[in-house]
Amino acid sequence: MVNPILLIAIPLALAFAIPLFGLISKKIIRYIPVAAFLFNLIISISLIPKVLQQSIVVKISGFQPPFGINLFVGPVGILFSTLIALTGFLVSIYALDYIEKKGSTEKYHILFLILLTGATGVALTGDIFNLFVFFEILCISSYALVAYLGNKAGIESSIKYLIQGSIGSSLLLLGIGLIYGQFGTLNMADIANQINSSSSPALFVPMVLMVTGLGVEAAIFPLNAWLPDAHSSAPSSISAILSGIAIEVGLYAVIRILLTLFNAADFMMFVLFLGLLTLLIGEMSAFKQNNLKRMLAYSSIGQIGLILFAISLKTHFGISAGLFQVVSHTLGKALLFLAAGYMIYKTGSMQISSLNGIGKKMPITSLLFTIGSLSIIGLPPFVGFASKLMVIRASLASGDMLFTILVGIILLGTVIEGTYFFRVVQSIYFKESNESVSRSETPVVGLIPMFIFALLIIFIGIYPDCISKILNAASSEFLNRLDYVRSILG
Amino acid sequence: MEFLADYIYYIGAFGLIIIGLLIVLVKHNLIKVIIGLSILDTGINLFLISVGYLKNGTAPIFSRTDLEPGNMVDPVPQALVLTAIVIGVAILALALSLAVKLYKHYGTLDLRKIKEQRW
Repeated sequence: MVNPILLIAIPLALAFAIPLFGLISKKIIRYIPVAAFLFNLIISISLIPKVLQQSIVVKISGFQPPFGINLFVGPVGILFSTLIALTGFLVSIYALDYIEKKGSTEKYHILFLILLTGATGVALTGDIFNLFVFFEILCISSYALVAYLGNKAGIESSIKYLIQGSIGSSLLLLGIGLIYGQFGTLNMADIANQINSSSSPALFVPMVLMVTGLGVEAAIFPLNAWLPDAHSSAPSSISAILSGIAIEVGLYAVIRILLTLFNAADFMMFVLFLGLLTLLIGEMSAFKQNNLKRMLAYSSIGQIGLILFAISLKTHFGISAGLFQVVSHTLGKALLFLAAGYMIYKTGSMQISSLNGIGKKMPITSLLFTIGSLSIIGLPPFVGFASKLMVIRASLASGDMLFTILVGIILLGTVIEGTYFFRVVQSIYFKESNESVSRSETPVVGLIPMFIFALLIIFIGIYPDCISKILNAASSEFLNRLDYVRSILG
Repeated sequence: MEFLADYIYYIGAFGLIIIGLLIVLVKHNLIKVIIGLSILDTGINLFLISVGYLKNGTAPIFSRTDLEPGNMVDPVPQALVLTAIVIGVAILALALSLAVKLYKHYGTLDLRKIKEQRW
């Protein structure tokens, strides 16, 4: 068996080796992220059958938990690390051509590798302070990548993101300090073992601090002011990663803290309403945007709200539906940002009106963009349909009258989503084109990753059972805290 | 007075945290906001250290037989603070370099005048 620690170690080591490779040849640097994430993808996929039988606990340097730092590779961890490796691999192929057009590439590739290392680390770690460190790795590299282009909008968004993000991580650290002061341990399983319910104020305060801190990165409603700026001013390949990976990882951390660490069943109703609020605010703000990338960014906020809603149902069905929505959002939104990247590059403007008639100029890219939008809206046969259907079935299956009414709000969100995405699709295909744009397609290197995303969207959409096994295992990992504790502490 | 003497480090730490948050919230100059973030960071580091602090405690060296194990300070928070300081420095450096770039673009650090991105 391959040690899962390599999933973190290899990209991290390669990231810092990039300047050394750069001494040999500037040409090979851009292939290093591709190689790193291909490796991660192969290892993650090969670990899936093993993890489904039994979760792997990696004890770093042989210390028995609760001493030392341990990695916990359960179904959730492996689901996220596969998703991160897949997206990272495809986006780094895309960047081979895309980012080359934007000048210097060495720093970009280093930061890109570090960002996804941090994301993998957050998903796999079993130690709460280690989670903070990986989270900071993820955040700091994404602050820098948002400012990568060095233009006015990028710098301004990056500084906004940095101020909000670092206040968030300070709150997270404060919460960790309070937890350590009470329990004298940082191991998540050990803390979970000592907490039965989070009703006492001594536990409630650190929980709220940690959820607020992580919520900034997860873009939960009142904390998401940075997101539209940052996602729209970053280079498109980074927007795809930020939208498809970074906020999902933040959400994973929130859910892990709430469900596994604090067993906060009473608190989930509040989170559910936050999710609905996030959904509505995100969709309504997306509706009034004229800027394509801002519209996609607001749509991510809406999708995060939907995921949060599904997971806060805290039924087995609801959590697997939420995780399915994570998969579907990652695939769909990454495809949309990648396609939008070349469309914007070609027309030279982010305005939706400038896309008029581009369906004739870039037929394949436009088709792929349309597939992505239809999947995010939730039309069959794409994956978005399967996942949204599952969210709605989950909330109906919980049997509560309240949830039946709330389904109406979700469907309303979907209608708004449909309206603004169809508006873009309409201007792509049915509006008079701007003659000054010449007819030329995205380079093949850029098309291949988009094709793979589109194929996955259609394949999982037609045959959702292919991932249902890992989703079910993942949702039982979130619900059965005792199994989590027992598998680590023995 | 007894209370003050026992909890002086916690009071100091939370004082710094609140001062830092207040500076970030009310100041309009970017450099001052970054200083606020730094003060917030310091407050949290002080808080973490006080979690493991013992009055008249000794360093946790187990090979020294003349030191009482019960009288040693907890080494874990110190390791945490070391990490947190490094992260804080990274954020501070990045924030200051962004501030330089921002000044080049806008010619000002007044956050009220930097409003190109909005909802």
